[in-house]
Amino acid sequence: MSDNIEEIQKSVKKYLFIGAALILCTGATVWLSYVELPTHGLNILAGMILATFKAALVALIFMHLNHERSVIYKVLAFTVVFAIVLFVLFYFSNSDPLVFEGFYDRNE
Amino acid sequence: MEIPYTVHPRPDTGLYNAKVGIWLFLASEVMLFGGLFSAYIFLRVGADYPWPVHDLDVKLGFWNTIVLIASSVTVVMAWACLKMRKFGWYRINMAITVLCAAAFMFNKSLEYSAKFKHYAVKLTDGTVLTGHMPEDEHGHTIPYTVKFGEVSELSLTIAGGSKAVDADPANCVLPLIEGEAGKFKLPDGREISLDKASFKALRQEIHEAEQKKIDDKKAALLEQAAAAKNPEEASKLSKEARKYVPLPDVTLKLTTSAPLKIAAKPSQIFGYTSTSITFVDGTTAMGKLLDDKMTLLVDGVDARGVAQSDKSLAFDHRYLGEGWQKAFVANRDHHIAAFEHDFPTRDKSKSATLQKESLFFKIHSSTPPAEGAAHGEKHGAEAHAPAAGHGGGHGHDYPTVVLEKKDITFFSNFTPKLNTYYAIYFTLTGLHGAHVVAGALVLLYFLVCDNKLLKKDPEHLANRVEVGGLFWHFVDLVWIFLFPLLYLL
Repeated sequence: MSDNIEEIQKSVKKYLFIGAALILCTGATVWLSYVELPTHGLNILAGMILATFKAALVALIFMHLNHERSVIYKVLAFTVVFAIVLFVLFYFSNSDPLVFEGFYDRNE
Repeated sequence: MEIPYTVHPRPDTGLYNAKVGIWLFLASEVMLFGGLFSAYIFLRVGADYPWPVHDLDVKLGFWNTIVLIASSVTVVMAWACLKMRKFGWYRINMAITVLCAAAFMFNKSLEYSAKFKHYAVKLTDGTVLTGHMPEDEHGHTIPYTVKFGEVSELSLTIAGGSKAVDADPANCVLPLIEGEAGKFKLPDGREISLDKASFKALRQEIHEAEQKKIDDKKAALLEQAAAAKNPEEASKLSKEARKYVPLPDVTLKLTTSAPLKIAAKPSQIFGYTSTSITFVDGTTAMGKLLDDKMTLLVDGVDARGVAQSDKSLAFDHRYLGEGWQKAFVANRDHHIAAFEHDFPTRDKSKSATLQKESLFFKIHSSTPPAEGAAHGEKHGAEAHAPAAGHGGGHGHDYPTVVLEKKDITFFSNFTPKLNTYYAIYFTLTGLHGAHVVAGALVLLYFLVCDNKLLKKDPEHLANRVEVGGLFWHFVDLVWIFLFPLLYLL
């Protein structure tokens, strides 16, 4: 984060604005969860998109990741990759390689 | 020793050391919570029951989210104020942050304690009844117990070498006896009480007697070995005598001086029949089963696991009965009709919300509502009694059912034992709560104990607050995902 006092003074308003935006987004998340979308999966998707947006605001503005040194981005890049791998691991639990083909030849 | 680069950046990284440190730590934290979120996905994908949606207190969760967001704003403001040398505002913002943390944990404790007191009982047909145990006149919960009467004999196993079962009457059986336990008669006619000291003495006496038997047997073998003419046989006998022999388990049958009454919680029982009950320490009491029925103040009937929901066991004449059955059917049909009207092309069975609203029937009164009044709730499945039917203040009256043991397959309060949802809910929110407490303590330390540093080197303190603040934002960030995943979706 910059040590420039003037910049910090300016960002105080930004922090308040982001705080308000986060609260509004939280309200929107609650409201959206009660809306009957075509599938519940879409509710989950919409909720997660909003949550990711909120998390991005916190990370970029409050945690100053919008202007940080490269060493931090390098560390986080590894973390993000491994975290994504963790989140998609469940996919492999559903794809069983030992698929039962049936007793009879399909061509018969 | 002077710690380098606490204020000014290190030339190669361009950052002061603590900042690199906290980001490395946060990266490891992302992996920790990432693993648990991954577990959440696995459990949700593999759940064989309707995943709870809007089951937790959404209002409380919402307020806690607001509280954490507010604290995130104040902690970054505290840092900015420190940078601008506005020390008064720095202190105010830090204090608000810590107070927000306290408010968050207070709300969490309310939520947890409500869950500990709330029960779910699964019936043999798949119906789940939710509700509370009855309370005594002082407001204390009366727990579910299995009651035995006319208990005339106790069978205790005192462990020798093995520790598979070991009688512990002072902690297991004695506290369960209603009234005075009195004395117990040993097989040799002596009378003892089963308090800690007497039982310890009895145990020692039995061990000594058993050890003496073993020693006597060994001595006899050695004598035989000495008398043996054949050296091979002598060696065999003396080898036998030297062999280690563990103390055997001894089972004692004690008779009671007067018939006793026992009431035990399921967690204290290993098993029972109509004439005997075995406790977790292996002790068996012989008597007569008096009562194993469960009294429940029902506040919900979840019939999502029942093929014909209106025929649920909950509406049996012994339990909720026909009145509530009618209310359930009216509520179910109302929600299905409304869904068909609003979404004519959608598959009813695939709407988790409709399934919950139509088949998870919430009860808020002790008597079924008048016909036609059971539906029309905004968020569904709730049947309200006329205003007079409500108790004062926060309380509601609920219908009381007395469930027979043969109709119950499982029961638990809303704790990790109930299902995988509550297991991951308590794991994630518990770990998050621990982070809130730890973060708040660090910030409180900066606020209270770092006044010298504030005067001597405010820039150093600003860096400390920035690092503590980064951790605090991370805690907020985790909650941003926890709130929708556990409360809303």
